[in-house]
This record gives sequence, C-alpha cells and structure tokens, in this order.
Amino acid sequence: MVVSVKMKNFVVCTFVVVAALMVSPFAMSQAAQFDPRDLSGVWQLAPGGGGQGPGDNFPPLTVWGQARYDTNKPGYGPKAAPGGNDPILKCDPMGFPRIMFAIWPFEIIPIRGRILMFFEGHHTIREIWMDGRKLPDDPDPRWYGYSVGRWEGDTLVVETIGFNDKTWLGAQGQPHSDEMRTIERYHRIDRDTIEFNLVIEDPKTYTKTWNTEPRLIKSRPGVEIPESFCVASEEEEFSKRIREPAARQPGKE
Amino acid sequence: MSRRFMAATITLLSLCAPAFAHHGNSAYDETARVPIKGVITEFVWVNPHSQIYMDVKDKNGSIVHWAVETNSPGILSRAGWTRRSIKPGDEVTIILCPAKNNAPVAYIGSGDPGTKVIFADGHELDFKDKTGAAQ
Repeated sequence: MVVSVKMKNFVVCTFVVVAALMVSPFAMSQAAQFDPRDLSGVWQLAPGGGGQGPGDNFPPLTVWGQARYDTNKPGYGPKAAPGGNDPILKCDPMGFPRIMFAIWPFEIIPIRGRILMFFEGHHTIREIWMDGRKLPDDPDPRWYGYSVGRWEGDTLVVETIGFNDKTWLGAQGQPHSDEMRTIERYHRIDRDTIEFNLVIEDPKTYTKTWNTEPRLIKSRPGVEIPESFCVASEEEEFSKRIREPAARQPGKE
Repeated sequence: MSRRFMAATITLLSLCAPAFAHHGNSAYDETARVPIKGVITEFVWVNPHSQIYMDVKDKNGSIVHWAVETNSPGILSRAGWTRRSIKPGDEVTIILCPAKNNAPVAYIGSGDPGTKVIFADGHELDFKDKTGAAQ
C-alpha cells in the first residue's frame, strides 16, 4: 500500500515536472522575444465589432452633434444606404482616429523624439512627438491633429488636439468637432499583441466622454506597406464605373 | 479582470463580430453568393478599389458588361494576387455579391468569405491572407 502511494506520488510529480519543462521554455521565449516599450513593426487592428470605426454605441449627442450626424450619409451602420456622402469617397484624408479602424495594416516607426505611424490606408504618415513637449495652446486645425506621447510604465499614452471637423470617426458616420481631444493607450501584452484603448472627449458633439471599446492590435510579420495613395482622379473613375451604377435606384439612369 | 483574461475576451468577441468589407458596401447583397461566368475584358489594379470587368452572355445570348469591385492591391497581394493574375480573354466564374438594384455590378473581397474567382483550368483566386499572420 505504501509503495502504491509512493508510486502515485512519483507519477504525479513526474507529470508536473515534464509539464513544467514543456511549458517554461515556451513561456521564457515568449517573454524574451519582446520589449514592451518597443512597438516598432507592422501591425493591424484585429477584427472587431466597430465596423471600421469606434462603434455606434456613442454617448448622447449634443444638438450640434445631432445636426452633424443627421447630415452624414454613411455606407455602414444603422444609417447605411447606397451612395452617401462619406468624405473618403473623394479621397479626403481619413483622419484620426478613423484610420486606426481601417482594414489595412500600419507600421510603427520610432525615431529620435518622435514615433511615426505609417498607414497603408491612403499612404499616410502620422507623427507623435515624444520629446516631452506640451500640446500647443492654439494649433492649426489638421486632419490628424497634433499629437504628443509619453510612457506611463509600459503603456504609451498619446494625447491629440487640433483637429479639423471634416472627418468622420468611422465608416458609420459618427461626427466630431474641432474641439475633440483624443487619448490613446497602447500596451503590448505579448510579442504579437497590443491592447488599444481610445477615449474621445468632444463636448461640442457628445454630452459625455466616449470610452470606446478596447481593441486588440496584432503584429503582421513579413508584411511591407505598399504604395497605396488614394488618388481622386482614379476614385472618380471608379465611382462612375462601379459605385454610381451600384447605388442607382432601379429604373433611374 | 486580468489583462490576459480581457485580451482573451476581446479575441473571442472579435471572432463573433461580423467581418466588414470596404465602405459603401450597403449597395451590395452581402448575404448572397452568386456564380457569374464570363470572359475578362479588363483588370484594374488600383488603390483602394481594384476592379474586374467581364462580358457575360445572358439568357437570350446577348452580351452584358459586368463590373466587379474588389480589394486594394495591398490586400490582394497578401492574398497571393498580382496585377497579372487576371488577363483580358480569361474565362472565369466569379462567385460574387450582386448589387441590390439588379444592375450588373457586384462586389468580391476579403470581407465576404466565399467570394472568389475560378478559372477555366480550375485554379482559384480568393481573399484569404497568405502571409501567415494571425488576424
């Protein structure tokens, strides 16, 4: 009986040791293969429920925000209809944060004093100042705003102001104003994954701060960003040959 | 809630979420997968919407010119396509999502699994990413 218990203990112990030996090198190599403060490389937002945008569960709109939302005619979401007036149909810049939710990858390129984001979407570069500067008091309005970043532990925190109000937050036509401020948080949780959190503060458009759904960004090893400009003349030709015939109401030429 | 658990939850939720194709797709019936057979007249390899044009014989034997929207060269390249993958004169069957208005216009692409181009010799072009990346 004693032998039997010893034998049982031996078998259990052997199992535990073998399992540990199998798992630990894997865990160690996983841990060794990334620096949480090095986000360089090609990445892409993992598929999620936002529909090429931060989702449609936004806070209640202000009167100004509602008027803007009523004007927007998107191809996606609760208001989707063929045709529409999505600004990117004319190759207008997608702007931030919409470009984060596009279906194309992007490269994070840290350089001295800055982090660059090079998006396949519309072949766009966005710059995040990392040299300790403050946000400007009265920045010119821009499609991508003016961004400064800092590290909080292993989380990259980026604040952006100075947007124009010509872009949508996503393909579903979510509006924003030139008073928008965004706060992004990037936390690399393993070699292949960044957790991405986006907060949108825009009191002119929304009655509350919008804490959007957290999303995952996955690494795209081996992917190179190709030339991918959105060229208005080419897009116009595409519209004439495909978009407009597809959106035309039956019976109307 | 631990970060790892949260990440796993987000991943699982991601799998449940519908895939979205490019903008403006409400013009197409993305629940349908219709085979259309024809002869390629033009393949436009351009960002952000590549385009396939083909001649299709209708029931009466008349030629109908079809126009098919698809993904950007970046997405197509990662799925194994090149600008020479489709040539004028190629006989193909395209499994497509037709326009809701019954015009001879359609969509195929990465947001609509099952859409693809099948050539007369049996080889196919689809939209699955071939770079080996976990998406």
